[in-house]
Amino acid sequence: MVDHWNRREFLAFSAAGVGTLGLAGTGLASLVQPQAQMAIVRWTGPVPASLSEEQKVAAKLTEQVLEALGGIRRFVKQGDVVWIKPNIAWDRTREQAANTNPDVVATLVRLCLDAGAKRVKVGDNPCDLAQKTYVTSGIAEAAKKAGAEIVYLDRERFREVQIKGERLKTIPIYPEIMEADLVINVPIAKHHRLATATLCMKNYMGVVEKRQLFHQDIPTSLADITRFMKPRLCILDCTRILLANGPKGGRLEDVEAKWTLAAGTDIVALDAFGAEMLRRKPAEIGSIKKGVEVGLGTMDYRSLKPKEMTLS
Amino acid sequence: MRAGSVGLPRWVRRVVQVAFLLLFLWLVLATWATAETMPGTWVKAFFLADPLLLVLTGLAARAVPLVLLWSLVTVVVTVILGRIFCGWICPLGTVHSLAGWAFDKVQSRAKRHDAYSPWQKAKYYVLAGGLAMALFGGHWITIFDPLVLLYRTATTAILPALQYAVEQTAHSIFQADPHLGPVALGPVQLGPWHLSRLSEPVYQFFRDHVFAIPKQAFLGAGLVWLVFGLMVAANGYRRRFWCRYLCPLGAMLGLLARWPLLRRRVNQEGCNQCGLCLTACHGASSDGGGQAWRPSECLMCLNCSQTCARGSCSFGWVSLPGKWTSQPGKKEPALAPVGLSRRGLLWSGLGGLVGLAALRATPQGRAKDYYPPRLIRPPGARPEPEFLARCTGCGMCMKICPTGGLQPAITEAGLEGIFTPRLVPLIGHCDYNCTACGHVCPTEAIRPLEVEEKHQIKIGLAAFDPTRCIPYVYGRNCIVCEEHCPVPDKAIYCVEQEVKLRNGQTRTLLLPRVDPDKCIGCGVCEHVCPLDDQPGIRVLSTNETRHDRHQPIPPEVPGQEDLPYG
Repeated sequence: MVDHWNRREFLAFSAAGVGTLGLAGTGLASLVQPQAQMAIVRWTGPVPASLSEEQKVAAKLTEQVLEALGGIRRFVKQGDVVWIKPNIAWDRTREQAANTNPDVVATLVRLCLDAGAKRVKVGDNPCDLAQKTYVTSGIAEAAKKAGAEIVYLDRERFREVQIKGERLKTIPIYPEIMEADLVINVPIAKHHRLATATLCMKNYMGVVEKRQLFHQDIPTSLADITRFMKPRLCILDCTRILLANGPKGGRLEDVEAKWTLAAGTDIVALDAFGAEMLRRKPAEIGSIKKGVEVGLGTMDYRSLKPKEMTLS
Repeated sequence: MRAGSVGLPRWVRRVVQVAFLLLFLWLVLATWATAETMPGTWVKAFFLADPLLLVLTGLAARAVPLVLLWSLVTVVVTVILGRIFCGWICPLGTVHSLAGWAFDKVQSRAKRHDAYSPWQKAKYYVLAGGLAMALFGGHWITIFDPLVLLYRTATTAILPALQYAVEQTAHSIFQADPHLGPVALGPVQLGPWHLSRLSEPVYQFFRDHVFAIPKQAFLGAGLVWLVFGLMVAANGYRRRFWCRYLCPLGAMLGLLARWPLLRRRVNQEGCNQCGLCLTACHGASSDGGGQAWRPSECLMCLNCSQTCARGSCSFGWVSLPGKWTSQPGKKEPALAPVGLSRRGLLWSGLGGLVGLAALRATPQGRAKDYYPPRLIRPPGARPEPEFLARCTGCGMCMKICPTGGLQPAITEAGLEGIFTPRLVPLIGHCDYNCTACGHVCPTEAIRPLEVEEKHQIKIGLAAFDPTRCIPYVYGRNCIVCEEHCPVPDKAIYCVEQEVKLRNGQTRTLLLPRVDPDKCIGCGVCEHVCPLDDQPGIRVLSTNETRHDRHQPIPPEVPGQEDLPYG
């Protein structure tokens, strides 16, 4: 070894050490009480007919699905800065199911703050104009009311980051997202003409720029960015799903209300579940296959024995 | 000072002038739409107060939006108070006042002698030419309306320059700041003092409250700067050069101010014709020793009454006829006429017509049969001749466009259409749910639309370029355009095709196509195309709703899809 460490090496070494200890601790804990890797909660009660009923159902589903995973405290530590990454890509309303359900996001904000998070930020790099999508989707208002900071990503503040992926070597990522202690990935399950479906892995396209290039090889690009983001908690919003003309949608005929939420730590498994919700086979979807191939998770989500529950 | 006279210290006028200039600039900044709200009619207040727009648009388009009738207030005020609009309210006039004040600091004052020059009649002949042109449908002279000029300059030249300076400074500091460090190591704190802690809040304030969209810039800003620079520089030759010699609005108000009720009076016993009053005159409305007064040239700055060392000059209300008789010997002094000659008016009218014919000597001028392919007008724009008969090129639509895609045409619409708006999809597309441009247009060259109506309007038609589009040319899937297409059932659809790659493998390609019945020409496809130099899909003005005769691709008849090409 070198005789003198510089500051940077010292920092890196200590971080690694602390990390190892932390991992060991978590491993030990999981030996004592194995924690669920995935949970699915379905609403089987009467279909919510009004906005306030929808809000109640969405809140209950969110609370339950996290409870089934062992509670939000499993992921959020006292004093954490949490970035919630919903899909806020399009200038569409909640009924059009092109963006994440705002009540799911709002409930998540509340739970994180209750668990002791210092700050909860909500933001996405939308496709339509942010000042429109944030408002039309209802997410900005709902999340703000729940106590979150709404962040409009500044195109000039992305930083080129080396992610050393298979296809993507460097990509501009929003630093504030990387600096958060925890990024919670909350996409909505939608049809997508090229990717077949847009689910959890694809939601990471909202933390980067220059993403038009992804389209020429979506599976590898998504696997690269997912590996870099190291997902710890994803919640797949299937309260409403978009079955055709995605990802932007716009026709109510293409929307189906499912009132289902799935959450977990295995992003590929969640995507596989989402694919089935969209009436596709997981193996049909390139990013899922690629995810399995590079070891991001399993396509056979049932093998994880997800905790399935119904609410009414 | 005599009873009944109006005497105000100069600072009162200066404060009023600066206040109106700031109001004008604030209204420029307030031309800003959010997702849910759009500014009210008040945002175009200055244009609504402009009788030149009322008259020229009324003549050229044979119709005016009723809100422009507000400018009759200006007419009434001018008839009573003279060109007080020019001297106290007009923000471009204030810019010239400020320029004159600055020139006073560097130029010798001794030479200043702002006596009336017959060349000041030029502006009336400009107006006459403009009116003649408008009578035959030409609206061109409104691009020289002072309010239009200043709005355009502020929006397309000054603000983007300011924005560049602020953004570039902040970005440079931000990128250089060690506080951020290499991101891979996380934030490395090097103590609390960093320049970006000062620059970022300033930048964020401008970003969130002043600049509507990041990196906003306009084509042809250099030309706008040039015109503005020349106008300001002309003050070095003669103060308020623009207002005295050229301004068509000033000419119109001057004609209305022929017999104002507020008049300048010179006490003949006191005045020794020293000419001191002329050294501070904004409008150069007097000559000789300062006794003759031309109300049409007077900007009502009231400086003469303040500079007169002998107190012989003042402003007062015109006396009623009864009063004249009760005060024998006191008669209203004669007012110097504008002095226009019939011959001059005829020649300038003829000049306007020749000018119009010259403008129409281009294919663009004959807009009925020639459709420039890249002249994509905003949704709600009227058919081209009618559009040009209303559009002043003020730039309100460009200022409010949330994507920054509305840009001034420089050559695309011909000289007659210079500074009129056109969509440049490479810079920004037409947002699907946005109707802001028609909402703010002061002359309704762009009709105000409801969102539902807007969804039905085609401003053009997209076309794939099979020599550029990635799947066609390079055999890779892409269809970013299809993803962004805002039409709910997608104007861009895909045809699947198996292709053999050079290594023998086969790949299923999604080849995008455009459905001409559904495409509205918004241009988002062109905007998001990864080929950001020469996109693989481009919007052309084909099939635009506003032109009945520009529909080369008629809609498909249901049930007849296999005809006539069998």
